[in-house]
Amino acid sequence: MLPQQPSRWGRLDIILLSLLFVAIGYLGYRINAGLEYRWNWQVIPQYLVRHDPEAGCVPNLLLQGLLTTIRLSFWSLLLALPFGLLAGLLRTSLHLFNRLVGGTYVTLLRNLPPLVLIFIFYFFISDQILPLLNIGERISAAPEWLQHVLALSLAPVDQLEAFLAAVMTLALFEGAYIGEIVRAGINNIESGQWEAGRALGMRRWQLLRYIVLPQAFQRMIPPLTGQAISTIKDSAIVSVISIQELTFQGMELMAATYLTFEVWISVTVLYFLLTYSCSWLAGRLELRLRRIYTH
Amino acid sequence: MKLRIMFILTLILTLLAAPIWAKNIRQDLVRAGTLEQVMSKNKLRIGFSTFVPWAMKDKKGGYTGYEIEVARQLANDMGVEPVFIPTKWSGIIPALLTGKFDIIIGGMGITPARNLKVNFSKPYEFSGMSIVANSKIAAGKVNLNDFNHEEVTIVARIGTTAASAAKKYLPKAKLRLFDDEGQALQEVLNKRAAAMISSQPFPEFQTLKYATKLFLPLAGKTFTKEPIGFAIQKGDADFLNFLNNWVLVKQSDGWLQERYDFWFTTQDWKSQVQ
Repeated sequence: MLPQQPSRWGRLDIILLSLLFVAIGYLGYRINAGLEYRWNWQVIPQYLVRHDPEAGCVPNLLLQGLLTTIRLSFWSLLLALPFGLLAGLLRTSLHLFNRLVGGTYVTLLRNLPPLVLIFIFYFFISDQILPLLNIGERISAAPEWLQHVLALSLAPVDQLEAFLAAVMTLALFEGAYIGEIVRAGINNIESGQWEAGRALGMRRWQLLRYIVLPQAFQRMIPPLTGQAISTIKDSAIVSVISIQELTFQGMELMAATYLTFEVWISVTVLYFLLTYSCSWLAGRLELRLRRIYTH
Repeated sequence: MKLRIMFILTLILTLLAAPIWAKNIRQDLVRAGTLEQVMSKNKLRIGFSTFVPWAMKDKKGGYTGYEIEVARQLANDMGVEPVFIPTKWSGIIPALLTGKFDIIIGGMGITPARNLKVNFSKPYEFSGMSIVANSKIAAGKVNLNDFNHEEVTIVARIGTTAASAAKKYLPKAKLRLFDDEGQALQEVLNKRAAAMISSQPFPEFQTLKYATKLFLPLAGKTFTKEPIGFAIQKGDADFLNFLNNWVLVKQSDGWLQERYDFWFTTQDWKSQVQ
């Protein structure tokens, strides 16, 4: 535990804070004076929520985009966790072959720009895999309620294939980073733990299952939550393959209304609200876990 | 000996069967064609990109614009349901080639370079490039040659025929490309670029909006004329024939011209968007 010191306002704090405000004010003034731009904030709220005569208030473009971003990040992360666990286990395996397989996956994915990966995956790989499964056809033939559930949890039926391709790419990409977190977590466990387990006659997988992984998970929680927030930010990249998430909807709106700055600022605020609330939740989770494990 | 007879017999029978195969190939071609696929799935998937007033989001989260109306009418005449797939302009041709949608109805100008990759229908409209300039830093420049200098910066939207028109007509000027038109125009408004090249009616509408800051150097005249057609995958003669004749019919009864006038010469549609 860190020693808790009561925070007090000093003279220096006030000076620094006022200097900061002056700097922000000056920047705002410069932007206003130097930028030939006609601000039009009144129209933004209607792109968040719109009033429908039948259904009442329904989310419009930007909020729909935010929901898609949340769904996209959620499913990508869910899929990335097993990928990462597998990669981490392979990387710490005793067999050279397994280590090479895991190493190839992690090195390849971590050293390629995600933008390039997304393009390659969307235009080539998903094009070969998804039509084989014939997802689009099957879903159109599925009963109404199932389509409705899918539309709520994943994406509307006509966007499902592209959405799945995006989820898979993001999951593969984030999986490589999670793999490194898992590897670090496993390597972080003291060798005494391994030796004690071995002395009890445990096999390797038993050791991992009952001794190493439970302890490693506890240590992996902080970097994993960081990676989860990173996933939300990385999801903006799939706007290039026309997934209708927040960035894409923002860009469509800009192209339609030319309200470049209003839309970018709104999109930024929405992203910040999402990631900040996630970090806050992650902080709470960490605190709670620490309490559980220390008691 | 037996083997040789068998071989000759097989050869003869194969040759005899050739006409039947040929017939099957034709049927297979028709079946694999986009037209049959669209009819059997009862869905026409349309790829487009936002371009005011060709295609844009409306206030209600749907789509509206000249191209959207054309696409709805086309799907309506085929008796199928239109599915609109908004796509980034820079990736629209690869998306068509990999079958993400059946047709591009997005104001795509017919150019030989594009035509090497996709098939185009007969043009259903013509658009032209115009130029809009900053009244302060481009003052006094009234024709295209005035902009063709090394110190002049021109902006355009990436991957469009506006960008290629800028390269062709203003080879000496510095060209900077942007992902959408709002950003490109902002550069002109901020005096970081002298002028922007874009299809009509964008320059006119923007000059009306920023009357003191922008002007039309060519007095609103266009300096190119570009045919706009539907783009589809190569090797699909049936669909192409259908599209060509659809354009012919709609041109003859005046529907295309009437809708064109509504979207490009009036601003009555503004209330649908903002």
